[in-house]
Amino acid sequence: MKIDAHVEHLFRHEYGQLVALLVRRLGMQHLDMANDAVQWAMAQALEHWPKTKPPTTPSAWLYQVAYRHALSEIRGNQLKLQKLTRLHEQLDHASTPPEDMPLSGELNDALLRMLFISCDEDLALESQLVFTLKSLCGFSIEEIAYRLFISEANTYKRYSRAKHYLQAQKIELDGVDVSTMASRLSAVHRVIYLMFTEGYLSSHKDLAIRHDLCEEAIRLGQALAKSTIGGSPETDALLALMLLNFSRIQARQNAQGLVLLQEQNRTLWDQQIIRQGLAYLQRSASGESLSRYHVEAGIAAEHCLAPSYQQTDWQKVVQGYQLLEQIAPSPFHILNRAIAIAEWQGAAEGLRVLNAANFPVWLERSYHWFAVLADLQYRCGEIGQATNNAELALAQAPTENTKQLLLKRLSAYNTNGD
Amino acid sequence: MSNKQYMCLLRSDNAEGCEKPSPSDMEVMYAKYQAWQTKFADNIVDMGSKLGSEGAVVRHDSVKDGPFIELKEVIGGYMLISAANKEAAIAVIQASPMVESSSVSIEIREINSL
Repeated sequence: MKIDAHVEHLFRHEYGQLVALLVRRLGMQHLDMANDAVQWAMAQALEHWPKTKPPTTPSAWLYQVAYRHALSEIRGNQLKLQKLTRLHEQLDHASTPPEDMPLSGELNDALLRMLFISCDEDLALESQLVFTLKSLCGFSIEEIAYRLFISEANTYKRYSRAKHYLQAQKIELDGVDVSTMASRLSAVHRVIYLMFTEGYLSSHKDLAIRHDLCEEAIRLGQALAKSTIGGSPETDALLALMLLNFSRIQARQNAQGLVLLQEQNRTLWDQQIIRQGLAYLQRSASGESLSRYHVEAGIAAEHCLAPSYQQTDWQKVVQGYQLLEQIAPSPFHILNRAIAIAEWQGAAEGLRVLNAANFPVWLERSYHWFAVLADLQYRCGEIGQATNNAELALAQAPTENTKQLLLKRLSAYNTNGD
Repeated sequence: MSNKQYMCLLRSDNAEGCEKPSPSDMEVMYAKYQAWQTKFADNIVDMGSKLGSEGAVVRHDSVKDGPFIELKEVIGGYMLISAANKEAAIAVIQASPMVESSSVSIEIREINSL
């Protein structure tokens, strides 16, 4: 498993950096043009590189070609529009000789600035995500739709909403001040984490598809962690959380479908990625703050370090979910705590947590709820109720994968109950 | 070398809407080119070039300007390969990423050098 697949993803990974760099030179209002220019440059590369040899610095080559193309396009537009003055000024300003090769540091810097700018609270989170995937990760609308299980029309709508908003604001990449950037860090984290979970929790049969969203999120997270503006204990914690989960992705699904934690083949867990995750987790402890990412990474680390499901330190997991409820309240944390308590102190204790808590109605009607309830009841010997709830869970199951998993369980109840 | 040389003319269907390939598509394509070139390094004499859309058709009594958009299929590029025989040449071209697109056809013609 590779995380730094720079060679393999040369085009897609360069894409975002080059778009960001062109936007930095030309202004956000020329975002479309920047996209087209990079697209064009890559088509040229595909044409030329097989004939010659690929250049020693592909990014510089692509940048030069894209930049020239964008300039000629802008000049063409100018003539058509006869509206010379403003654009001309901008152009002269932007016309640093194309020979000025971008340094890799500058590429990253432009990319991150774009990321901070697009994580704007006035945009819906889904729009931020689609925009980031398109402009900074180099996915096409079609590819994004396929990965997020939404229609292409919907994907396009989300993308263009963000695009029009950002273009209209005529933001200068370098005009965003440090305090604005700093205030957006948690929004940036949110988008990166959403990107990760879209990949990690996805039920795509194709592992590569699930992988690449996770890898993109980790790549952005790593770029963020290395930067002055994005490097923070919280960023490290987010990165740790993503790595510690990603290390187990291979074991999470097999040909038959989803594999529960207790049934996963732990030798498939990637120890090298786990070590990276633990290193970030350690680094994240340097600050004063304790974010949800810290706690979630801590829980993930418990699982990664446990030699088996039974030998997991469930007490620590329970404490983690307790803490999480305080930091970022969500009924899911209580549900997860109930599961962990059942492992630690027995299924009856788990059920007690479920009965004591006040869950919102939407959760109490979800497959998640019914599935957990059925499992705990079954373990307490309440076979009839367990079967009932398992059937309710099955009726609500959102994906084929989940359905398979629930069916497997249900049949276990039936055989053992007889 | 007793190999023969073949001129390969690449035609592409003009009517096809030009759906832009995504960066992922392009990196996959590039990887395929590299693999193909490595595999057939001995056969590929000249990767040739793309042909521009500007041109003309010259006859004894006329000169017609291109581009020849009225034609459904346009010659878009050429390349030179060498192979022991026609069958071998076909095998090289069949394995190439160029023919993957349904809108592309490649004509292989032996170069009769005497």
